[in-house]
Amino acid sequence: MIDLARPDHLPNLRPDRQPPHPGWLPRQRRGTTPQMIGRYPDFDVFDAENTWDRATRAVVRARLEPPKALRFFSQERQSTLRAFCDVCLAQDSEPRVPVAEMVDDKLAKGELDGYQYADMPDDRETWLQVLEGLDDEARRRGAKNSFAACDAETRKEIVGDFARGRLSGGVWDDLNVPRAWAVCMRMVLSAFYSHPWAWNEIGFGGPAYPRGYMRMGPTSTQEPFERPGASDEDPVEETALSPDGLRTSPSPAAGTDSSGASR
Amino acid sequence: MTSPGWAWLKGAVGPKENDSRFLVDPHRRDLPGEREMAHYDDRDEVDLLIVGAGAGGSVLAQRLARRGWRIVVLEAGPFWHPDEDWVSDEAGSHKLYWTEKRLIGGSDPVEMGKNNSGRGVGGSMVHYAGYCPRFHPSDFKTFTLDGVGKDWPIDYRELRPHYERVEAELPVAGQSWPWGDPHRYPHSPHPISKAAMVIWRGALACGITMRVGPVGIVNGVFGNRPHCIYRGYCLQGCKVHAKASPFVTHLPDALAHGAEVRARCMAARVELDPAGRRAVGVCYFKEGETKPRTQRAKLVALACYSIETPRLLLNSATSGHSKGLCNNEDQVGRYVMVQGASQTAGRFPEELRTYKGPPPEVSSEDFYETDERRGFARGFSIQTVSPLPIGWAEHVLADGHWGGALREYMRDYNHWTTVGVLNELLPHPDNRVTLADETDQRGLPIARYDHSLGENDKANIEYSTGVIKQILDAAGAQDTLTIRRFAHLIGGARMGTSPADSVVDANQRTWAIPNLYIADGSVCPTQGAANPALTIMALSSRLAEHLASNRWEP
Repeated sequence: MIDLARPDHLPNLRPDRQPPHPGWLPRQRRGTTPQMIGRYPDFDVFDAENTWDRATRAVVRARLEPPKALRFFSQERQSTLRAFCDVCLAQDSEPRVPVAEMVDDKLAKGELDGYQYADMPDDRETWLQVLEGLDDEARRRGAKNSFAACDAETRKEIVGDFARGRLSGGVWDDLNVPRAWAVCMRMVLSAFYSHPWAWNEIGFGGPAYPRGYMRMGPTSTQEPFERPGASDEDPVEETALSPDGLRTSPSPAAGTDSSGASR
Repeated sequence: MTSPGWAWLKGAVGPKENDSRFLVDPHRRDLPGEREMAHYDDRDEVDLLIVGAGAGGSVLAQRLARRGWRIVVLEAGPFWHPDEDWVSDEAGSHKLYWTEKRLIGGSDPVEMGKNNSGRGVGGSMVHYAGYCPRFHPSDFKTFTLDGVGKDWPIDYRELRPHYERVEAELPVAGQSWPWGDPHRYPHSPHPISKAAMVIWRGALACGITMRVGPVGIVNGVFGNRPHCIYRGYCLQGCKVHAKASPFVTHLPDALAHGAEVRARCMAARVELDPAGRRAVGVCYFKEGETKPRTQRAKLVALACYSIETPRLLLNSATSGHSKGLCNNEDQVGRYVMVQGASQTAGRFPEELRTYKGPPPEVSSEDFYETDERRGFARGFSIQTVSPLPIGWAEHVLADGHWGGALREYMRDYNHWTTVGVLNELLPHPDNRVTLADETDQRGLPIARYDHSLGENDKANIEYSTGVIKQILDAAGAQDTLTIRRFAHLIGGARMGTSPADSVVDANQRTWAIPNLYIADGSVCPTQGAANPALTIMALSSRLAEHLASNRWEP
């Protein structure tokens, strides 16, 4: 049973401050999303692609190209980078947004954000030190050689300690740990949420030039090409009307979706 | 406040002496004036050389080009071709920001880059949200009224005609304004989104007055500039040309009157005559060249904003000005201010889809003035904002979430609406720009900005963050997330009545060099709780009027 009017799935309102297992979400039908997890099963931002301007389309489309090989990070750190990006974004299976490659590309090109904390090295140096620190920390906690070789729980624990600024010893003593976390996450998040698959996951309508947005409220906030969140649909009526999962007309709210239960 | 007669004229009366709105192309977003633009030789002694083609520099260029002045504007970034260069995409808009390195220090460092720094013709107004409130009359005398900050050497009344003129040129759309000096706007308020309506509802329940606008976004048509299409990408450069920036509001007219905007030219230092008393031009690096050039000029105006203007002055040190130009009294780079800009998002049962419509929608200045019961001097304003996915991810991260928890909040994006504050943080001499040991690729020392909050600032931020939380709770928010941040820049070369505590006089002329002016936000001694763009333009408009008076007629 999904009722998105209720906020029960939000981590701050749950006793352990952790989200429910994504199994409560509906099966993704239309657009690709990271790990095929999403709240808008029938939405694909590319359905409106023919209304985007050429420059925007080129920039967004380029993110779907097969990722280039890593060139900024050395061979030995590459698996650490991938493992770190996977843990901070909970990307535990395919399809994955190639965040590691996107971060590596930015660092290799030197596309930085225009500021550096006075007590921190250059962002590129920060990344190198953080990955080294993660490997050291993993060995301290019993891993054979690197962060990537740890079991999933240990990796999460290490990243959790990193997020709370609780890592120390070795390179961590030379770094302002909370700021190092901010530097890395800024880049990781900007890579992940620039990817159209992530837009599909969160139901973001995407680029809207020259078309624009029309339905700003108060009666409706949904454009004709947008699809409602999982709570607003009746899966039975849905299946009967359009076997391919495409809706022909919006149905009034039924408030439930049972398909999540089967995952 | 709005008489029926005035209401009929809303949106129908255009500004005088500025044809920019007719000089943009209705079918292409490039400026037609770029092709026919004048070109001056470096050896030509032009009447006025402006450094920086943003809010301050562009208005000055437009005003004086109309008077027949021969003007060159140097701009470090590119001359935009919006159809190709600007995209409806957050990450793809990286090139709109000043991304050359700056060091940030102090106990509360301020993030630069996309947060507050623009690059390219049009300056940071290309990616500002669009809020265009005026300063209040009280902002010009905070020391007299509240014993904090610094009184300006000028009064609100001196700026008022220029506020009105610039509001007509942008044009500003919004409801009649009850705060500060009550006034009305040339364009009617835009319709608001459901996300903003929720905030309005909460504010109403708390007894807080909200108003729609004021935003520099066309409502209706304005010459060849079309109506806003509510696509929500104001911070990524308005491809529609509905949102005001000097690129569409002043530069087309400036180019048509013979000004040259020389893009991709980074100023290195102000050149002085052998006696070190007058400016003779500006030495600059053209992109791709290693040998610097020098453009000669009778008059030089710096409009590079609060970080780069002090940097340029400090980098212009000579034997006669060993601590940096205009810095004999150690005032350059001091009193650089930012505004506290905490934002709180609230979760609601229905889908709000906050990405629709311009991020700036409704605002309140109920808390703008000092109220002793609050326990601190000066105040803050409240404004709605609407983060796009990357901005929303930074918001969620700031509340301490990552991994699966972050993804969960992100998936909930469409149920959230966000409201922010702008706190007036007080000027402090040690919040300053200095030169770092590191140099950029041209060999110029880079800027370092140190920033620390005072007790009054902390109390203001604390109190205001409570108010926006209260608004969301009153609206029925099921969960809230808060991010603490800073926005905007102002100060760094402030105006005053004596060289001992300021860099420029009341007419923005530097105390040290009689033909060197500063025409950007760095001259402001205080900042109010209002977004600075409109005030920077109004100050430049006033400066132009002063320069055009007989004394400087070329």
